[in-house]
Amino acid sequence: MTNATIFIVDDDPAVLDALSMMVEQEGFSVKTFVCAEAFLSAYQQEVLGCAVLDVRMPQINGLTLQKMMADRGILLPIIFLTGHGDIPMSVDAIKAGAYDFLTKPVTRDKLLASIRPAIIESDKKLSQYASIQEAKDLIESLTDREKEVMQLAVNGFPNKEIARRLNISHRTVEIHKSKIMHKTGAINLLDLASIAREGGAFD
Amino acid sequence: MIEDLTKQLNNLSFSTLFNSIVDATLLVDEGGQIVLANESAEQLLGFGADELKGLDVEALIPKMYRGHHAYLRHDFFNNPVKRSMGQGRNLVVLTKDGSELPVDISLSPINSNEEKFVLVTFHTINRLLEVESSLKSSEERLRLAKASAGLGVFDIDLVLDSAQCDTLVYKLFGFQRNIRIGYQHFVDAIDVVDQAKWQAMFEKATTSSNDGNYQIEFRINDKQNQAKHWLYIAGRVFFKKDQAVRMLGVVQDTTKQKQLQQKLNEQRIELETLFKTQIAIQTASAIAHEINQPLAAISAYSEVALFALKSEAPDIDRLNRSLLGCVSQANRAGKSLHELMEFLQKGKVELEPTDLNEVVLEALDITQHNGYGGFKSLLDLEPDLPKVLANHTQLQKVLVNLLRNGVEASQNIGVPIAEIQVLVRTHAELKMAEVIIQDNGPGLTDEVKERIFEPFFTTKEHGVGMGLAISRSLIEACGGQLWFDINHRDGAAVHLTLPFVINETMSNL
Repeated sequence: MTNATIFIVDDDPAVLDALSMMVEQEGFSVKTFVCAEAFLSAYQQEVLGCAVLDVRMPQINGLTLQKMMADRGILLPIIFLTGHGDIPMSVDAIKAGAYDFLTKPVTRDKLLASIRPAIIESDKKLSQYASIQEAKDLIESLTDREKEVMQLAVNGFPNKEIARRLNISHRTVEIHKSKIMHKTGAINLLDLASIAREGGAFD
Repeated sequence: MIEDLTKQLNNLSFSTLFNSIVDATLLVDEGGQIVLANESAEQLLGFGADELKGLDVEALIPKMYRGHHAYLRHDFFNNPVKRSMGQGRNLVVLTKDGSELPVDISLSPINSNEEKFVLVTFHTINRLLEVESSLKSSEERLRLAKASAGLGVFDIDLVLDSAQCDTLVYKLFGFQRNIRIGYQHFVDAIDVVDQAKWQAMFEKATTSSNDGNYQIEFRINDKQNQAKHWLYIAGRVFFKKDQAVRMLGVVQDTTKQKQLQQKLNEQRIELETLFKTQIAIQTASAIAHEINQPLAAISAYSEVALFALKSEAPDIDRLNRSLLGCVSQANRAGKSLHELMEFLQKGKVELEPTDLNEVVLEALDITQHNGYGGFKSLLDLEPDLPKVLANHTQLQKVLVNLLRNGVEASQNIGVPIAEIQVLVRTHAELKMAEVIIQDNGPGLTDEVKERIFEPFFTTKEHGVGMGLAISRSLIEACGGQLWFDINHRDGAAVHLTLPFVINETMSNL
């Protein structure tokens, strides 16, 4: 958990300074930004952690930044901080996938009670992302013919039918299948089906 | 037979004949003296037997025509011809008690020996009918006028305590039909809350040293409909030997006007409340915003410091930084509050001695240079004008607003060059200065005249309709007035007055 990074974006330098010290005391590494653009240009690679965003900022406000992060596929869970306990605004933010919505001034306990599960969420998202990535790589390693055979196999067609459809011999289908299982590391057909789904073979 | 009859007739005396004439008749000599008057004449003119005989005929003529009559009489005897006078000339004759009687008169010359006489015959029937019919038609006109204006008329004889009222007065006061109405009936009909007001009005109106004119607005309890309505009365009390004897008045039902006025008042109050609430919300929100950021920082810094203290080896650097942060953020919050209060206090009107001429010039300058150029201004300032009591900035804004209205009005109807005339005048007796701004635009329609100061009323396509409402309230806050001259033609003319600074006020400043 301590290898997590907390990204704080707030246009008020004093708030930024105080919050960053508070989070540092918990052993997290902290990166602070006074505006949305600075954060976006700095965040290039997915890391474990979460983003703490001020809602009211000049130019790009917190809610807009949330959308921009979603567009870029950034996985960091978002915790919003706002000066006004604005209910409609928080509803919008949560609907758009915000992890939490806290009002300023925020106590240490509340902030940490929000940051800790957000990091667990981040971890989950990252590993999901990794397994998807892995499945994609595995599927990419297959030849086109092997992909065709896999498609039909996970759709439940027997070898005989696959051979007939692809106009190849029964024996050839068996060879392809064994290669597929070997390359993907799938233990059985069910396992293969889940890899194919994660890797986007059905998209 | 006929000869006998002629003989008998010849024997009839002139006086017998004269007395038997049905019409009132006088015989007047050349000197204007009444020689004979028949009984009809004596009756008509209210004289006793033989009282008319020997009087100058001019005694029967109203004073103002007497001299002229004597001249006309000479003229007649110089050329005595039978003629009738008066048709359509509204002749009158004076009776014994001095009242005027409308008559037609015919004149017949009689010559006997060398003396000339004239037989004067009064015809009253035609004249009476004529007078009656003209009275009827004028009554009819009055009735129509009253009905269309919704006016009731009453006439109280204060000596006999009896009142003549028309049907509308009966209806408005809720008087029962067929009972004799006296002054007390009026008083009793008035709502209890307004009786003192009525009493004060009555005492003033019936005081003979006053002119007797009165007007009053009061409430009436409509017992039948269980409602109250408003009546307005204007009229006059008449006096005889310093004694109030007659009270005449017209009555109008003003309930609807009152209701409308009340509704407008309620709307105004509602609007003011709305504004005040909005101002309160906006102010609170501004304060919250100014204070919340430093509070958030202070809270976080404090927790950082507390956390640092709890550790076995406190991080002195961090402790120092967070406590310094607390101090500077607390100062920042205080400063924000001061600035905010300063800003809000700017809304309070500070009245100061102001040079009106100077503000007028500034306002003209601003109007010329803020996209409203291209108008011609005719300036007529009053030199050595004493200073007025006003707020410089607000007065300037009001004047700019009025000037813009004038220029826009003229430009909107395509006047080639908008002409704005600005006059500054002194009202010494009111201790006020007056500014008059006239334009050569289309002027104000009746509807606009009525509603021009209503909030949100505007004739401009993109106007909010607050300019004049705000302007007027700002001027009134200075003790002045703002109005449009409703009789002004050729464009619109707006007037505003402001009180001069008087010494007392000066010493308080």
